[in-house]
Amino acid sequence: MDNNVIECKNLTHYYGKKLVYENLNFNVREGSILGLLGKNGAGKTTTINILNGFLQPRSGECLIFGENSQHLTPETKGRIGFLIEGHVQYAFMDIYQIEKFYSKFYPNWNSEPYWDLMSKLKVTPTQKISSMSCGQRSQVALGLILAQDPDLLILDDFSMGLDPGYRRLFIDYLREYAKANNKTIFVTSHIISDMERLIDDLLIMDYNRVLAQCPVNQFMDSFKQFTFELDNNNIDLSKEKFVASVDKIKNKVELHTFESEDFVKEFLKKENISVKNFKQVEMNLEDAFIGLTGKY
Amino acid sequence: MWKSIIFKEWLKVRWYLIGATLLLGVFVSYIFINVKHDITFQDANNLWYLILFKKYQFFGLIKYLPLLVGIGIAAAQYVPEIVSKRVKLSFHLPVNENKMLLMMLGFGNLSLLICFSIVFSIFISLSNCFFAYEIVNEAIITIIPWLLGGIAAYSLVGLIVMEPIWMYKIFYLVVTSMFIPLYYERGITGAYKPVNLTLAIITLLISVSLLFSAYRFRKGEM
Amino acid sequence: MEKISRYILVLVAILTFSIFLPDFYWKLFEKPNRSPFVLYSCIDKDFIIQQGRNRYDNKGNKLTRKEWEEKLPLLNMRQLMIYGLFPDSINGCIMDPHEIGLNKSFFRFKPKDMNTPQAHLFPLFESESGRVKIEMPQDFFRITKRMEFVDAKTNSVIKNKSRMFTAVLQKRGFAFPAKLIAGIPTTRKSCDEGYIVTDSKDQLFHIKMVKGHPYIQKVKVPKGLKFKYIACVDFRDKKYYCYLFSQKNEIYILTQDEYDLIKFPIKDFQPKKEELRIFGDLFNYNVIRLGENYTQVVALDKEYKKVAEYNKTWLSRAERKEGKVFSYIFPAQISMFNKYSDYINFYYAKTKGFNWIILNLLLVFGHFLILKRRKVIFKNHLIDFSIILITGIYGFLAVNLFQNKFFK
Repeated sequence: MDNNVIECKNLTHYYGKKLVYENLNFNVREGSILGLLGKNGAGKTTTINILNGFLQPRSGECLIFGENSQHLTPETKGRIGFLIEGHVQYAFMDIYQIEKFYSKFYPNWNSEPYWDLMSKLKVTPTQKISSMSCGQRSQVALGLILAQDPDLLILDDFSMGLDPGYRRLFIDYLREYAKANNKTIFVTSHIISDMERLIDDLLIMDYNRVLAQCPVNQFMDSFKQFTFELDNNNIDLSKEKFVASVDKIKNKVELHTFESEDFVKEFLKKENISVKNFKQVEMNLEDAFIGLTGKY
Repeated sequence: MWKSIIFKEWLKVRWYLIGATLLLGVFVSYIFINVKHDITFQDANNLWYLILFKKYQFFGLIKYLPLLVGIGIAAAQYVPEIVSKRVKLSFHLPVNENKMLLMMLGFGNLSLLICFSIVFSIFISLSNCFFAYEIVNEAIITIIPWLLGGIAAYSLVGLIVMEPIWMYKIFYLVVTSMFIPLYYERGITGAYKPVNLTLAIITLLISVSLLFSAYRFRKGEM
Repeated sequence: MEKISRYILVLVAILTFSIFLPDFYWKLFEKPNRSPFVLYSCIDKDFIIQQGRNRYDNKGNKLTRKEWEEKLPLLNMRQLMIYGLFPDSINGCIMDPHEIGLNKSFFRFKPKDMNTPQAHLFPLFESESGRVKIEMPQDFFRITKRMEFVDAKTNSVIKNKSRMFTAVLQKRGFAFPAKLIAGIPTTRKSCDEGYIVTDSKDQLFHIKMVKGHPYIQKVKVPKGLKFKYIACVDFRDKKYYCYLFSQKNEIYILTQDEYDLIKFPIKDFQPKKEELRIFGDLFNYNVIRLGENYTQVVALDKEYKKVAEYNKTWLSRAERKEGKVFSYIFPAQISMFNKYSDYINFYYAKTKGFNWIILNLLLVFGHFLILKRRKVIFKNHLIDFSIILITGIYGFLAVNLFQNKFFK
């Protein structure tokens, strides 16, 4: 059996009367990279806050390294690297002060990756972080987490503000680093295309429910898009149980489902729906995500 | 590790703290320039008489300064922590959260105390040059609650800044603005003599009030 | 820790509310209550009462303002002279305005005079300078382990003068340090009579400076008589130096030159809670005591013997309507100020009776309802309930402002 670094059981949370989610369960295996995907407001940051103990869920609990996330011991907190959404850091420090500050807290502190990243930044030695650009700030925040050398990395929307090239570089570096050192990563992002290269498992959330929770490969294999043209424009497929989402422009239909091609064809036949140009379309993760959660 | 926390707090408040100390220093100097002027122009015995029997407060100028300093230091120390909820970074450090907070407010209280002690001891030694100890004694009794008020304001402003819910921020502000005037009542010189110790104890007690709102912040009250 | 910090905040809030809420209440609802002004009339040989704008004699007959003035001719001499109504003689005594002015005196004491912060440093004036005006000396004295004069300009002890006065005090048997030092530390007085001082053994001394030299008299005091307050006076008749309040709540005067202590026939005067006014005129002294809800006026003749006595009580604030309503709302009140003291303190006054219990119980129930809506475990709120039960409205506000919301 795999060792789970994160185990969340029956998480239920409301903001006031508004349900965020009910009975959410998920685990993150040691050495795996889990991506939490969802639209804005689907509960990504709520989950991150619960994981870090900044929010008490209405019921249920999260265990990190076997400890309740509401009462993490300092030792356990030391094993977790945490990137706050927006790469928030102590903006009143410069890059030397902040490195000096953090290095005293972590026994495994290794400043090499940090200085590596900093050398690429065009900042003056006494420049306050508050006066840096968004991209520069994000590199400071990421560099600090790498220097911390934690066993678990929780990254809330890490790609925000990064240039595309650098984003790619960072993702490759991160994956390489995680796999080589057996690090566990819990990551959220709203740029899905990045995630495909990075994550092993995914958890897709929509408003107050979980849409998918499985390894990426399995998801990409089982989730499919079919396109076809309807003879009868008035047929509505969106109510059918097997349909994850359907888009219809005039008679052209894009249908997303976890069912097989045979199943869909069988269904169309059974229901006497005649279609033209039926074919399965290759998707990337972003396509699949949109297919699953809908465009709106 | 503790040094690091002190380093961070110092980075936040250093200019305010140095500025406040200088400001207080300037005012204390001004007080004694006035005293010197009064002695030159209207004789020392008349000034003594006014102080002793007309309850003239030659040091009245600094009354609300410690309050301003307390509020300023609290703002300098805690506002950067709640901007972008930055205090999450501190809570995530491998340190017990309450110990971390105690360290922070301990630092704030201590720096206020150091600032006040420096200025206050200058005040006392200059007073001793000009006045008999009876007069200096009454002056000390009168100034102590003003200084305590600054320290209490520091603690309560910290509480208000850290409180996550706006409505409660306002409630706490109301209680604070009713409570702090207790340190600044319009009494005659020396009137606070019987209550200074009680006020000092209360001030000491409320120095941990930040823990309450920080706890609410940590548990995601909103 | 965070629970402790909450209780501290609740405590601070209770303290704050118990100072401000009653204060707001009184400012809104308290009605003024004037105490009567009562004086002995040398015409009627009885008391005349003024209550606000109404004036009566002691039998209850209403008096006009003019009639009132005529019954107190020595008090209203100048007004009566304008009317041409001032009598030539009263009680067989020819009225001489100079004589009347000489015998007129007024003394006022408030409990605050005893309870006030005072640096024990006083100016010792030259009593016989030969000048018309009294001059403020350059130095101030203290009587601690010895008598010291501190020069204001140099802020240093004047050695010779201090040594001289200390030596004479020692010779007269003064036991250092001084307990009470009473004088009139101002240049605005007719003449200087120095200070009346008690030492650590409660002996009484008269200290003044005559031509730069100490004049020190030890006053003979009956055994066991100890004073807790002395107020010096500067009356034109020069009959006595001061009023003295004894530990046994008696009032004395100390006559000039003979140093006789004369006791007033006033029983159990409470200087901590009573105001005292003494009007002196050609025939009488009116000794007026004023408590929170009573007044006593004792008329004395010029030999300080009791002539008549007047007593009146009225409803105190707590007994009036606004006070009764108060007792149903507030279990106690704390004030920073006190009308009997210049000192600032947390003056705690418990409300008499237990009317407030009703509101306290209602608030406990109200809190119960609030908690029920929040669906909490009541066991965790027992301390809050007891806080409300004891402190009532203050506690109710406090525990709800600083909510008892903690997670497991």
